[in-house]
Amino acid sequence: MDLHSLHDIPHSEERFTGYLKEICETFEFDDAAYAGINPVGGTMHAIVTYNEDWQNHYQENGLHLIDPTLHSAMRSVAPVDWSRLGRNANFRKVFDTARDFGIGEFGMTVPIRGPYGEFGMLSVTRDCDAATWKKLKRNVIADIQPVAAHIHDHVMGSEPLTKFLHHPNLSRREKEILQWIAAGKSQQDIADILCISSRTVEVHLRSARQKLFALTTAQAVGRAIGMSIIYPS
Amino acid sequence: MIIIVDGLNKHLFQPLLDDMFRLRARVFAGRLGWDVNIKNEMEIDQFDAMDPGYIIGVDENMNVISCARVLQTTGPHMLSDVFDAILCGEAPVRSASIWESTRFCVDTKRLQDRGSKTAVSRATSELMLGILEYAQESGITDIITVIDPIMDRVLKRSNNAPHGYVGQTVPMGKVKALAALLDCTDERIARVRDFADIKGDIFMDEDEAVLKLEKRAYAQEMSLADFNLAGDLSDQITSKPGASTGDLQQYCLDQLAKAETEADVNAALALLDMLKEKIGADDVEKLVRLAGHGSTPRSEARLV
Repeated sequence: MDLHSLHDIPHSEERFTGYLKEICETFEFDDAAYAGINPVGGTMHAIVTYNEDWQNHYQENGLHLIDPTLHSAMRSVAPVDWSRLGRNANFRKVFDTARDFGIGEFGMTVPIRGPYGEFGMLSVTRDCDAATWKKLKRNVIADIQPVAAHIHDHVMGSEPLTKFLHHPNLSRREKEILQWIAAGKSQQDIADILCISSRTVEVHLRSARQKLFALTTAQAVGRAIGMSIIYPS
Repeated sequence: MIIIVDGLNKHLFQPLLDDMFRLRARVFAGRLGWDVNIKNEMEIDQFDAMDPGYIIGVDENMNVISCARVLQTTGPHMLSDVFDAILCGEAPVRSASIWESTRFCVDTKRLQDRGSKTAVSRATSELMLGILEYAQESGITDIITVIDPIMDRVLKRSNNAPHGYVGQTVPMGKVKALAALLDCTDERIARVRDFADIKGDIFMDEDEAVLKLEKRAYAQEMSLADFNLAGDLSDQITSKPGASTGDLQQYCLDQLAKAETEADVNAALALLDMLKEKIGADDVEKLVRLAGHGSTPRSEARLV
């Protein structure tokens, strides 16, 4: 996975759309869409890479009101493969016309739930055969989870109120481990120092990255230093 | 076998969920003495209203023998909102790649009553495997799970030792509770499968589960104390005194009439199909027409 962090992309209207395009290129999807709802600020966000014709058709026909990739997927804890929605009459209504706009029906929606009732969904799609889709999904599913959370956190964090609520709250262990990383120690070194397993160190690092809106550990260390959560060594 | 129930399909599995909530009440309020809310002999908390994922183990008669619940650690979950004592005031682990598993339990009484010493151990391993494989397929790398020290020992003994712990062990009810970490790697899955000698797919397909649940409901309605879903249900039913062909027809008609979703209709049609020799093929078609489903191509195909 070789994605940029959203921190490195300058603020602009195209920022998130550009990021979705980068997700498509990295993971070999045709299109990607993010939808997020924030009950704290009472706001909704929708960012898509779909062609303009489809966007217009989707809007004019109010398909967002019935689209099960939005309404059903948010009720799952796991990514929802759209094949699960095939029997839903509304799925047919949306996707029977989608084909005319060059959009296939192989896709999945990754639901992200936030701590304050806010939630987001990253949908990705690819026009291909069933076997290709199955393989693609298996290859990318572990990598797409943190990426979905990354875009969700950044979109939500673009609102001042949510940004305040999301001030990173790292545990003592997470700070300790980031501090050792900043001191140049490897994951195994840290495991030996703290008398825990290397895998447990990895869990704390995953959590620290998530809380600092970072995709890589290096980004997390940089952010943590910038926010005086840890100290440069 | 393991059935995955979530916000998308829970309307198909309410009887199974009710059995699960009753099992949870017996285990967590009864055996473990935790401070949980019980209503109508069921243990249901605020996280059950948040569309969690349920991993439910069933026996051959569709009795619930084990269950667990998973929540995303990015959202509200038990360690962040309820079990904070375990974390000693520290912030919880939060990652899109990590799920929290709670309310892990096995119906030891039902399994022990059968006199099989290995049944409990096998059901525990199968449930554990259900969680790990469901999580892995969803792109989850690790599970954080709230367990008691007995469960911790069970995990260690069954080739499934946690790779670490978070926070500390605290008293909870008659026992203690702690938070353990398990990776969802191929290696761990292979170790658990090897220990319990579990081969092949452990998950029951949604359609099959709906059909079996329908058969179970039917058997219960016809008061079949001991039935076998794997065998020929129609023989068992019609050999019972009191269950006349008229009863069967009425029951099937009711099921078709009550069907709200396509899955319900298909389950009812499949039941009719299974019973058609006992009811008589002409009557089956009549019943389908009566229920207003006779014109759908799907039902005709089913009844050929």
